[in-house]
Amino acid sequence: MAKHNSLAPEQRHSRAYYIICCVLICLVAFTFLFPLYWIITGSFKTKTEILSTTPVWVPSEWVMTNYENLMSKRSAPLFGFELFDYRITGPTVPAAVRWLVNTVFMSVSSMLLTCLTAAMAGYALAKKRFYGKTILFSLIVCAMALPKQVILIPLLREMSALDLYDTIWSVIIPIVGWPFGVFLLKQFSEGIPTEMVEACRIDGANEWRTFTDVMFPMIKPGVGACAIFTFINSWNDYFMQLIMLMSTEQLTISLGIATMQGENSTDFGLLMAGSALASVPIIIVFLIFQKYFTKGITMGAVKG
Amino acid sequence: MVKNQIQYSKRQRRLVMQENIAAYLFLLPFLLFFVGFVLYPMFMCVYTSFFDATMGREDIFTGLDNYKTLFQDQVFWIALKNTLVIVVVSVPVTCAFSMWVASIISKMPVAATSAFRCIFYLPVVTGSVAVTMVWKWMFNNYYGIFNYLGKDVLGILDKPINWLGDERYALGCIILILLTTSVGQPIVLYVSALDNVDKSLVEAAEVDGATSMQAFWKIKWPQMMPTTLYILVITTINSFQCFALIQLLTSGGPNNSTMTIMYYIYYNAFKLYKYGYGNAMGVILAIIIAILSAIQFKVGQEK
Amino acid sequence: MKKMIALLLALVMVASFAACSVEKAPEETTAPAAETQQTEAQQTEAATDEAAPVEISLWTYPIGKWTDEATVKSLLADFNAVYPNITVKVEYLDYTNGDDKVNTAIEGGQAPDIVMEGPERLVANWGAKGLMVDLADIVPEGTYDSVLASCTGTDGAVYEMPVCMITHGMAINRDVFEAAGALQYLNEETHTWNSVEDFLKAVQAVYDAGHEYVGAIYCGGHGGDQGTRALITNIGGGTYANAEHTEYTYASQENAEGLAKLYAQDGIVFDPAIVASEAIQNFINGTFQMSFCWNINDELNNADALTFDVLPMAFPSDSEPSLQMGIWGFGVFDNGDEAKIEAAKTFIQFMSQDDAQYTKTVEATNFTPVRDLPGFESVNPLITEYSALDPMQGDYYQVTLGWTQARTEWWNMLQRVNSSDGTAEAILAEMQTAQDASNAAASAG
Repeated sequence: MAKHNSLAPEQRHSRAYYIICCVLICLVAFTFLFPLYWIITGSFKTKTEILSTTPVWVPSEWVMTNYENLMSKRSAPLFGFELFDYRITGPTVPAAVRWLVNTVFMSVSSMLLTCLTAAMAGYALAKKRFYGKTILFSLIVCAMALPKQVILIPLLREMSALDLYDTIWSVIIPIVGWPFGVFLLKQFSEGIPTEMVEACRIDGANEWRTFTDVMFPMIKPGVGACAIFTFINSWNDYFMQLIMLMSTEQLTISLGIATMQGENSTDFGLLMAGSALASVPIIIVFLIFQKYFTKGITMGAVKG
Repeated sequence: MVKNQIQYSKRQRRLVMQENIAAYLFLLPFLLFFVGFVLYPMFMCVYTSFFDATMGREDIFTGLDNYKTLFQDQVFWIALKNTLVIVVVSVPVTCAFSMWVASIISKMPVAATSAFRCIFYLPVVTGSVAVTMVWKWMFNNYYGIFNYLGKDVLGILDKPINWLGDERYALGCIILILLTTSVGQPIVLYVSALDNVDKSLVEAAEVDGATSMQAFWKIKWPQMMPTTLYILVITTINSFQCFALIQLLTSGGPNNSTMTIMYYIYYNAFKLYKYGYGNAMGVILAIIIAILSAIQFKVGQEK
Repeated sequence: MKKMIALLLALVMVASFAACSVEKAPEETTAPAAETQQTEAQQTEAATDEAAPVEISLWTYPIGKWTDEATVKSLLADFNAVYPNITVKVEYLDYTNGDDKVNTAIEGGQAPDIVMEGPERLVANWGAKGLMVDLADIVPEGTYDSVLASCTGTDGAVYEMPVCMITHGMAINRDVFEAAGALQYLNEETHTWNSVEDFLKAVQAVYDAGHEYVGAIYCGGHGGDQGTRALITNIGGGTYANAEHTEYTYASQENAEGLAKLYAQDGIVFDPAIVASEAIQNFINGTFQMSFCWNINDELNNADALTFDVLPMAFPSDSEPSLQMGIWGFGVFDNGDEAKIEAAKTFIQFMSQDDAQYTKTVEATNFTPVRDLPGFESVNPLITEYSALDPMQGDYYQVTLGWTQARTEWWNMLQRVNSSDGTAEAILAEMQTAQDASNAAASAG
């Protein structure tokens, strides 16, 4: 305390500024947290409380009706695929479960595919000399700036020509093709000393071994960032899903809930239950991996 | 270059070939996806923009007609103006806001820094559909929380404001929501950029009697420049792509005051099935974004 | 820990595989063009022993309980008891994204075989684009002529097999109106307002009783436009489209004056921030005292949240009100596969020919049948009250071409009127702009 008193007036002034800022940030943080709080509590409210004109901060009675509706209104097989002439379908489960399975499958597959292809391409772009490198890199940067929605119509026509329309792959493939991951991992790979790669080559390791044993372990934080980034993006890529997916078995969770609405009535309880179901898993994933994530995007960006 | 190549020995040339092949093999999986599902549709987008394309019949070549119609389309110009307003307002505000937040939370204990970082990232993770639904309720004219606070609690407003239904405020509301969904990443970046600032320089400056303001502008700011540039670029791209908010909240209204190019493309292509026209708009938008990004990169490199 | 998770996963997988079913995938039904002849030959052959398995898809918009899986499944079970060889795969659409989905499916070459919706989409949109099959040969006897006319395209083909209909009206909060003494301005027996002037008096009375928002002219887009259209044309006494359904005609002095009256009235708000469904929510939670978008399903769907007595009403008019009706039915997409088209027709016939089955089909929509169906009144207790509006049904003009764009123009017009000075001249000018743009779209097809 004695130290505090001895501060110069200006420093005391800046201390007051700091405290005011902290309070302000807490207030702002509250508005950032609010939507999530509202969705989760809302999913446990009765219809009357959801529609109430005075805000109901905490449900007076926690009901499961919305989740029950979500689980009972539609059903679908847990999985289904065709093997040669046979169609194999899983046990019938609430459609919401299938939608969740689809969403997880979609996000995980795009994440894995993106990480693999982007790590390889990033390595090549950073450490190899080849013809057309400059052109390819400028194309990648240009494509990153382009809004995805612009190419939706041609993409739709292409997917249907390839018989991929209304399959989960029609959503996964464009995400894997999106060059952000390559950009990120190229920046990362450039930070790895070239001597290390060359040393490995001199030791007689082939190209693939060099990549898997030396390069990949060193760009792991970048791959981690790329993974989480792709996962979140693909989970929330509402528009692409809306255009490409149609049948109950193929829908993702956010799309599926929309199909459960009536003509002129929006069932907000159902919507909130669905939104909670759609966002809680991804928030958990984010919280678990957030250290990786922050480290990854920072390193990638600063070098960029 | 040519001269160098001539000087290569046979062995060296073989090595170059090998490296080329290896590089392309590494690139192959990505290129399959990139060329097939990004570049090809991009090319088709440009190509179809010269056609009258709709569903249920063959495309008809119309040359530059789509572009001519586009430049006479008043709504397109309104949409362009709104899009630019969103970009011009939200980009600097996002940068300034996230730098301010980062500068405060980076001085906090580690656990608090990490907690706040998460909180500000939450709206990105939660997904626009869910977040938008809550914002719509908050902006509600009749029982939304903003009117409740403004009128009944604080007494600033003498009558409720129809936030999303009033041309004067609707775009502002959209920008505000856009901010909450886009400051997450910049804050993360700035927090670590501030951590990486050379502490000894700052301390030296403080010993010399520099105020914290001076220390910030003279020492921290230049060191954070690369981060700022990166943030500028990604925020610009994000703001241009603002679509889900518009679709879920206002459908471009009232009076086209929140119509953005992204939404107008969607409306033309998927509601009116004017695919060619939508694509022409996409081409124009891509050109604008490309020019802006190029300028930003250029400015960045000069600095 | 890891072992536990792995074990758990393995268990789940085994359990799910144990419960899964393996069956022979159906033969590819889309035969290449060269083989069509052959397939047709096979089909005639197959038809004789009635065993050729066909899979067709049925997409339904949310029409009453046709959005409820249990109801639809029981109807399908009835069908499959008679036709075990036809598998019907059902998908559920919503009004917000449904159109985009059908359009992308058409563009993606995956259009459904059967769609359940109204003539504005089946006839004026997809039918007019030549994507639908003519169903004239399977329309049941006794279908009301007026309904059938609305389901017929300009080329004379029947693109929708009508199943049910309803009259769109408005609704008031009877409790509030009673407390405000406003019930004197309307006739509860006939569900009509005494006159336009009395309607405005009633609104004033409710407003004076302390209700700041009596009714809202929602103009945020996304459906429910039948409400605002009918409100304005009835108050003004003008028309919306010409009798031939080739041109929009709402920019008239009468309609502009009608809208000006609403604009000037206390308690009537224009709200570009809300859509029809939100106006209905606000009516149910007591924010608004009337809803300009209402039909029987709105009362049925919200029964558990309604805390007051709802009185369905016709729109206010100085002459006989002319109400909008909704017609829903089946349309069949021409996907170029005769077997599927035949199966789709079989399905539609099954659902609508036999009186007993047809009763079930209509019952699932919560609406009323499109031909005389003895004993139907007993099915839904609310029908009696709501059917009072039926005699006031007016012209079904939703089949005018350029409908999608015309709707957007209508919303935008209301939004512009909201920010204008509200004089009849200003409103007329806005209406004219919107009408010109709509007519341009109509003539472009």
